[in-house]
Amino acid sequence: MSQEINSTNQNPAGDLLVVENLTTTFQTARGALPAVGGVSFRLGANEILGVVGESGSGKTVLSRTIMGLQPRTNVEVGGSVLLDGHQIVGATDEDLRDIWGTKVAMIFQDPMTSLNPVTKIGKQIGESLQVRLGMNKAEAKARVIELLTLVGIPSPEERYDAYPTQLSGGMRQRVMIAIALACNPTLLLADEPTTGLDVTIQAQILNLLDELQLKMKMSVILVTHDLGVVATRTDRIIVMYAGRIVEMGTTKEVFRNHKMPYTRALLESTPRVSNPSHTRLQTIPGRPPNLLKLTEGCAFAPRCSRATEKCSQERPTLEPTGVDGHYFACWNPLEDQAAPVSIQTGTIKEIGEDNVRG
Amino acid sequence: MTNNEVVINAAESVVEQPEKKAPIGIFTWICVGWLAINVLVAVLAPLLPIPDPNEMISMPGMGMSFDHLMGTDDLGRDIFGRLAWGSRISLGVGIGSMAIAFGVGGPLGMLAAYRRGKMDVIMSSVMFTFLAFPSIIAIIAVLSFWTPRSLGKIIIVIGISSIPLVYRVMRAAALSAGSKEYVTAARVQGARDRRIIFRELLPNVAPTGLSFLLFGVATVIALEGVLAFLGLSIAPDIAPSWGNMINDARQSLNNVPQNWPLIIFPSAILCLFILALNFVGDRLRSYFDVTEVKL
Amino acid sequence: MLKYFTKRLVALVLIITAISIGSFYMIHLLPGDLATVILGSGNTPENKKKLFAQLGLDKGLVHQYLTWMSHVLRGDLGKSYITNESINTSIAKALPIDLEMIVVSQIVAFAAAIPLAMKAAKKPNGLFDRISNGVTFGLLSVPSFIIVVYLVLIIAIKWQVPGTGPASFTRFPEWSWLFSDTGTFFTTLKDNLMSLLIPSLTLSIGSFVVYFRVLRSDLIATLQEEYITMARSKGLSRRRIMWRHAFRPSSVALLGTAGINIGGLIAGGFVVQYLLSIPGLGSLLIASITLQDYLVIQSTVFVVAVAVIVINFAVDFITTLVDPRIARD
Repeated sequence: MSQEINSTNQNPAGDLLVVENLTTTFQTARGALPAVGGVSFRLGANEILGVVGESGSGKTVLSRTIMGLQPRTNVEVGGSVLLDGHQIVGATDEDLRDIWGTKVAMIFQDPMTSLNPVTKIGKQIGESLQVRLGMNKAEAKARVIELLTLVGIPSPEERYDAYPTQLSGGMRQRVMIAIALACNPTLLLADEPTTGLDVTIQAQILNLLDELQLKMKMSVILVTHDLGVVATRTDRIIVMYAGRIVEMGTTKEVFRNHKMPYTRALLESTPRVSNPSHTRLQTIPGRPPNLLKLTEGCAFAPRCSRATEKCSQERPTLEPTGVDGHYFACWNPLEDQAAPVSIQTGTIKEIGEDNVRG
Repeated sequence: MTNNEVVINAAESVVEQPEKKAPIGIFTWICVGWLAINVLVAVLAPLLPIPDPNEMISMPGMGMSFDHLMGTDDLGRDIFGRLAWGSRISLGVGIGSMAIAFGVGGPLGMLAAYRRGKMDVIMSSVMFTFLAFPSIIAIIAVLSFWTPRSLGKIIIVIGISSIPLVYRVMRAAALSAGSKEYVTAARVQGARDRRIIFRELLPNVAPTGLSFLLFGVATVIALEGVLAFLGLSIAPDIAPSWGNMINDARQSLNNVPQNWPLIIFPSAILCLFILALNFVGDRLRSYFDVTEVKL
Repeated sequence: MLKYFTKRLVALVLIITAISIGSFYMIHLLPGDLATVILGSGNTPENKKKLFAQLGLDKGLVHQYLTWMSHVLRGDLGKSYITNESINTSIAKALPIDLEMIVVSQIVAFAAAIPLAMKAAKKPNGLFDRISNGVTFGLLSVPSFIIVVYLVLIIAIKWQVPGTGPASFTRFPEWSWLFSDTGTFFTTLKDNLMSLLIPSLTLSIGSFVVYFRVLRSDLIATLQEEYITMARSKGLSRRRIMWRHAFRPSSVALLGTAGINIGGLIAGGFVVQYLLSIPGLGSLLIASITLQDYLVIQSTVFVVAVAVIVINFAVDFITTLVDPRIARD
C-alpha cells in the first residue's frame, strides 16, 4: 500500500493514479495564485486516500486538477497526472470526455448547487447512461432506479421524477453519489461530500460511500477539512497546507506519529465526544496564508509555535520517516508520540488506533 | 472578510470571481461630460451665441459650413441652432416628467415598503393594475384630446403615467433595504418613522433611484420622439424638439433625399444622449452593486 | 402547482375586470364632447338628448359600464358611433397584422439572440463578447422610431428594394393572400413577407438587443454554476452542456423578459404601423383617437390590454413548466 515517491515517469503495476509535481496556478487580477504548488503522490487500486486541510489549503483545487476539471480559463497546470495510463495535464475537455464518468467521477461538495435545479433527478442520473453508455431510455430508467436503490433512496420510482429542490440535503447527496457511480468509475473523488449535511446524515453518507467502495471496487480520494471523517475510513492520509503536502502516510501513522505541528493542530481542533464537557476546543492561531504572498520559507511558520528562523527562510521538503511510507515536511518535527498538551492518549486511541483501517 | 480570504476562497471554489466595483473608467466620464454639455446648452441657450432656431436664416438644404455648423434644413433654418434649442424641450420633458413621477411614486413606494401591511396591499394593487395597462396608449389618448398641447401638459401626462413604474422600482429597492439590520436597529431605538425613512431608507435606495432616474429620462426623451412622430408633441414651427426635428427630416427626406445632415444630426444627438444616460445609469448601478431591479 | 395557477387565474380575472373599468372610465374622463363629434353643427341640446338616449348614454355610468360589459362578455364589442362599422369586424381585420408582425419579429429575434448569446457567453470578455456587448448596448439606445426611419431610408428609398416601401402595405394586411387568386401561393407569400420586412426588422432589432443582453449575462452566470462543472465531469459535450444544462435554467430569465417585452412590443408596433401606414390595431387605435371615436378607442384599448395580460399569464405558465421552482415559492 505504501509506495516510495518515484520521480521517474514509469507506472508500476497496481498504481491507478500517479501525480507528479502537480501545480495549479490561477491568474487573478492581483497576480498569480499558486493554489497547488507541486504535489506528488500515488494511489493504488481499491485504496482510500484522505486529503485533509483547512479551507484554502488547495485540496479542492487539487481534486479538480487531478480530474482535469479546473476552469477553462485563467489557470495554468503543470506537472503530470497519470490516471490509468491517461495523461490528464494538458488534455482538453474533448480528450478527457472519454474517461470522465467512466474512469474517474466526482462527488461535489454542495449537492444544492451541484444538481441542475430545473431537471428531474432521474434524468440527471440517466443522462450519462444514455450519452456515455448508449443505453436507450427504458434501459437507462431501469438502471437509474437500480442506482437510486443502491444509494439508499426510498421509493425510487417516485423519486425518479423529483426535482432537486424537493429532496432533503442528505437525499440530494445520495443522488450526487448515484450520478458519480452511474458509469462505474474506477476512481471516485469525493470533495467534502458531507460538509453541508447534518451530523447524523454525515455518518450515513460516509458509511454508504464505504460500502459502495467495497461493492464496486473503486479507489476513492476523500477530500475533507475534518480529520474525524478520514480517521476511520481511509487507508492513507495526505495533509495539505498552502497548496503543498506537509505530511503523508498511512492513516495509523499520521494519527499516531505525526511529525508536522500543523497535523497536530488540526487534530486538536477536532471536537471529541470523550473530552470532558466544556473542554475548550483548540484553534489554530492566525489565519491561512495569503497564497499570493508566499515566502521562501515554510508557509505554516507564522502560525507555528515551534518555528525557528530557518523555518521562515527555507521551505522544508518532504522527508521519509522510514516507517511505512510516512513523509513529512518540517524542520522541527514533533518527537514525542504521546501528545503533550491537550491531546490525551485515550482520545487519540479512540479515533487513532482501534478504528483505523489498514 | 479580508481581501486575502476572498482571493483564497475564490481559488478554492474554483469559481472565477468577477471584479467587483469595476473602476469608473474614462468612458463614463466622457458620458458624464456629454450629458453636462447638453444640460448646459439647454439651460443657457438664450445666452449663448446660437442661431435663432425659427428664423429662416439662409438658403434651405445647405451643407455644413462655418456659418452653419450642421447645415440648414429645408426651410433654411440652422440645424445646430434648432438642435440646441430643441434640447430644451427634449430635456425638459424628460427631466420634468421624471420629477413628477419620482416626486409622487418615490415617497409612496418607500412608504408602502416601510409600513407594509394593509397600506402596502392597497397601494400596490392599485399601482400594479395600472402597470398592467400599456401606458403609451393612455398617453396617446389623453394627449390627443387635451388640446391645445403645451410642454406643461406633455410633462404632466407622461409624469403621471410613469408614477406606477417608479412606485414599483422604489418599493422594491426600499423593501430590500428595509429588511436590513440597521433599519431594524433604528426602529428598536425608537426612531420616528419619518426619520427612519429619510435618514436610513433614503440613502440606501438613492443609488437605485438615481440610476433608474437616468434610465427614465432616457426613455421619456425617446417617448417624446414617438409623440412627435404621432403629431402629439410640440409642433415644430412653435419650438423645435429633437423628436419633431427627426420627424420633419423624415418627411422632407422623401422629397430631398440628399440632405442627410438633416436627419443624421438630430437622431445622432438623441441617440448619443440616451446612450450616455444608459451608460452612466448602468455604471452607477454596478458601482453601488445594486441587484438588478426588473424594469 | 394547481393551487398556484388557481391563484394566478383569480388574479388574472381581477386585473381584467380592473382594466375593463379603467378603459371605460378613461374615455369618460377625457376632455371632448361626443355630441359635437357626432352631430357637428347640429349639436343642439335637443338633438344631443335624443342621441344620448339612442346610444344609452343618458343612463348612469355604472349602468353604461354594465351594459357594455354584458355585450363584451357575449363577444360583441359594439359599433363605432361614427362609421357605424362593427368593432368586431375592424379588430378582426387589423389583429392578424399585429400578430404576424409580432410572431415573425419574435422568431427572428430569438433565432438571432440565442446562438449569439451562447457564443458570447462561451468566452466572457473575449473579443466576440466585448464587441457584441458594445454593439447591443449602443443599439439599446436607438429608439425604434429612429430604427424604422433609417430602415425605410436605406432599404426602401436608397436601395429601392421592391415591395418594401410604404406603398406595398396595402397588400400586406389581408390574410386573403392565402386564398388569393391573383398569382400563385408563393408570389403572394413573397409579397407578404417583403412588405413585412421593414416593420418586422424594426421590432426584431429592438427585441433582439434585449434578449441577447439578458440571455448573455444570465448564461455567463449560469455557466459558472457548480452544476455546470458537474455536467462537465459527466463527460458531456460542450454543446449538450450549453443547451441542456445552461440554456434551460437561463431561459427562465429570457422568457420573463419576453413577457415584459410584449407590452412594449405591441405599443412599439403601433408606432411603426402608424409611420408606415400599416392598417393594424395601432393604426385603428390612432385613427379612432383622431376621430374621437369613443367606443372604438374603449374597446380596442380593452382588447389590447387583455391581450398583454393574457400573454403575460401564458409566459408565466411556460416559465413554471421550465423551472418548477417558481410555482412552489
